[in-house]
Amino acid sequence: MTRGLAVLLLLLVPVVPWSQGQIDRRAGAFRPQEEVLYLWSGRQVKRLFPGFEALAADIYWLRTVQYFGGQRRFAAGKRFDLLLPLVEITTTLDPRLEIAYRYGAIFLSEPVPLGAGRPREGVEVLAAGTRNLPGSWRLRQDLAFFHYIYLKDPQRAAAILLEATEIPGAAFWLRTLAADLLAKGGDRATSRRMWSQMYEQGEAGVIRENAKFRLQILDSLDAADHLAGLVAEFERRRGRRPARLAELREAGLSGVPLVDLAGTPFGYDEKSGRVFISHESPMWRPE
Amino acid sequence: MSRLLAVAANTFRETVRERVLYNLVFFAILMTLSGLLLGQLSIRQDEKILKDIGLAAMDLFGVLIAVFMGTGLVSKEIERRSLYPLLAKPLTRGEFFLGKFAGLAFTLLVNLAVMTAGLYLTLLATGRRPDPGLLAAIYPILLGLLLVVAFAMLFSTVTSSAMAAVLTVGVAVAGRFTDVVRNMREVAPGTPPWLSEALYSLLPNFRNFDFKDRVAYGDAVGGDVLVWVTAYAVAWIGVVLGLGLASFRSRDFQ
Amino acid sequence: MSEPLALVTTGLSKSYRTGHIIQGRRPALQDLDLEVRTGEIFGYVGPNGSGKTTTLKLLTGLLKPDRGDARVLGEPLASRAWRFRAGYLPEHPYLYDYLTAAEYLDYAGRLFGLAASVRRERTRSLLALVGLERSADLPLRRFSKGMVQRAGLAQALVNDPELVILDEPMSGLDPIGRRLVRDIILGLRKAGKTVFFSTHILSDAEALCDRVAVLRAGRLLKVGALGDLLRIDVEHMEIFVSGVAPDAPGLGAMRRERVGDRLRIEVEERELGRAVAAVEAAGGRVLSVQPVRQTLEDYFFREMGAATGGAAAWGEG
Repeated sequence: MTRGLAVLLLLLVPVVPWSQGQIDRRAGAFRPQEEVLYLWSGRQVKRLFPGFEALAADIYWLRTVQYFGGQRRFAAGKRFDLLLPLVEITTTLDPRLEIAYRYGAIFLSEPVPLGAGRPREGVEVLAAGTRNLPGSWRLRQDLAFFHYIYLKDPQRAAAILLEATEIPGAAFWLRTLAADLLAKGGDRATSRRMWSQMYEQGEAGVIRENAKFRLQILDSLDAADHLAGLVAEFERRRGRRPARLAELREAGLSGVPLVDLAGTPFGYDEKSGRVFISHESPMWRPE
Repeated sequence: MSRLLAVAANTFRETVRERVLYNLVFFAILMTLSGLLLGQLSIRQDEKILKDIGLAAMDLFGVLIAVFMGTGLVSKEIERRSLYPLLAKPLTRGEFFLGKFAGLAFTLLVNLAVMTAGLYLTLLATGRRPDPGLLAAIYPILLGLLLVVAFAMLFSTVTSSAMAAVLTVGVAVAGRFTDVVRNMREVAPGTPPWLSEALYSLLPNFRNFDFKDRVAYGDAVGGDVLVWVTAYAVAWIGVVLGLGLASFRSRDFQ
Repeated sequence: MSEPLALVTTGLSKSYRTGHIIQGRRPALQDLDLEVRTGEIFGYVGPNGSGKTTTLKLLTGLLKPDRGDARVLGEPLASRAWRFRAGYLPEHPYLYDYLTAAEYLDYAGRLFGLAASVRRERTRSLLALVGLERSADLPLRRFSKGMVQRAGLAQALVNDPELVILDEPMSGLDPIGRRLVRDIILGLRKAGKTVFFSTHILSDAEALCDRVAVLRAGRLLKVGALGDLLRIDVEHMEIFVSGVAPDAPGLGAMRRERVGDRLRIEVEERELGRAVAAVEAAGGRVLSVQPVRQTLEDYFFREMGAATGGAAAWGEG
């Protein structure tokens, strides 16, 4: 290669990433999937790919996951109205793509900004999955979990779990979990078990991290309860409630850090003695 | 320079005589049919459908021409040895190579221009306003096609015309999935970030040339974006053509 | 400006890589030292695979030499200046079949930077020279092999070159075409041009060349004027006779060969009288008598170490 040509190439090469960055900045690194809206329904899309439905499903699915999950976990400006159509198209193209139902349901059900905050749609997706894949106990398990966690309906959740136990290969603990739900109407321990299952069953990635995060919230709630217990102890000893949580430490009652697992200090209401996860914390969830 | 232009002019003549531009006939038929059929469909969507079909056809036909003419330009000349009498003349290898590129670039320009006119005519004929915003999508399509040609020519210098065509199509397709590559960590979380970034940089990002959806919805495309897209295209084309030229220059014609 | 030497090579060498996994090198040309004088017709002969085409490709820049150098028309090999003054016809030329002969010549002319009027004139005269003036506007796709060959020769001459390099110029031509090309080559010499052509058809070389280089397995075997390479054998005479059957009595053990309707008989000089008498006694006529001249082919085969001809060509009586 002549020297002139080599110099020219060396000068041009860095222009590539530079201009790419400029384009991304101006036109959006991830241009939205507007064209999908245009493609009406799964059935119509399916007609476009005769013989390649499975591949098309994979591609749609890849797009969906990348757009809604992962690095864009907490990104603003996600278009959640596209999510259900995308999931619907994917699962129409390939009804046996189990992961699409599971992930799709999570993205739909989890509150903003990770998900769309539309648990009813998430449950619908899982229900469709259980219809298309009647042999999958995992989908029924997820459906049950979702009924409990997002729709706050432990009875229905227990009923679905019992259905799941009928499926060969189902995990043995589904039955005891159903029993717990029926008996206690569900409690934190039950939630913990459900999220632990989701953590263990998920591959590394968004689902798993979300389950882990959920477990950390439960841990933080436990920690808050523990602190509330210490507050009561303080009151018993001193005859008054502490003005701030830091007094617990000063009194030697607490060696435990006064922050939740996200590092945000707990909230404390002196009047009621309640210790709670602060509104400022990323761990805060509405009741 | 005049020799380079002579090669370019002859290349254009070649594409005309080899009936490459006949694809325009198919395009015209496609446009006409779409225009007629869509008149029956729902009121709001058909203009967008027409624009989408027109732009997509430009892109698709353009890529096909770019791949098959681009690989034919160099590898067929080598395989058939038609360049032997030419290279013995005062024509340098660089003039030959770049002249071929220039000729095919001009062919693509003419092709797109005719298609654009056809699309606008169809829009007019079906009673719609011809939207000048479409040009903001057509210009990047042209840039993308030039990059495909550059790749076709590069691969032609090192392998047979059939293999070069396969490789060029591969690059053209993979280049539309660069966002998948960049975000591959979503679906394969074990991938080290440097690997996905490296792969992303090595593939040309053809989505940079894709403004079809935006334009069909009537969204404006900033002039500054187009400037940077041009810079991106020029840089990539320069690198690929440069490599192709170096390869062509060093080649022994056994 | 005229150089005494149109072409000089020193130590020109080239080898090809062979094999895919285990790469060896096959030498195609080794240490070629050659001189071609201005104004001569120089023949470059050798069997297929001896390195002739390799040499020509090295000269015209299609290949890069591993070692060695050359000067063409006084300029270094790598310089482009001499290319304006030289013409090249490759072996089995492929010209763009979507162009007409006239268009191709015009294109070639543009690559030399010739003005439009010059191109027009040259195209016309060259097509007439090679006998294609009536096919000027036919696409090359419709040309026969011989017509393409002649068109190829025309494009080699479009710039009125001082040095013309031809690789197998007679290939694909019928006898009329061969005659035509031979006449053109002779005409070029008459006009003071230098012609350097390679061929494996020895009779062509014999008929045209002032000097000849013989190549074998990539090495130059011998260079020289034909008269120096070939000898005239004064001990044997060859007689051309007619009207005599090859198996006529009295011709004894002389070698004989049928050439058309004539017979060529080889005799030792002292037997000449007896042979003539035998022919006349058999009712034949002696057409010519001359010393045996070794052909280039004979020389070739001798040097190559192969047996002379086939037994069928020679009848042993």
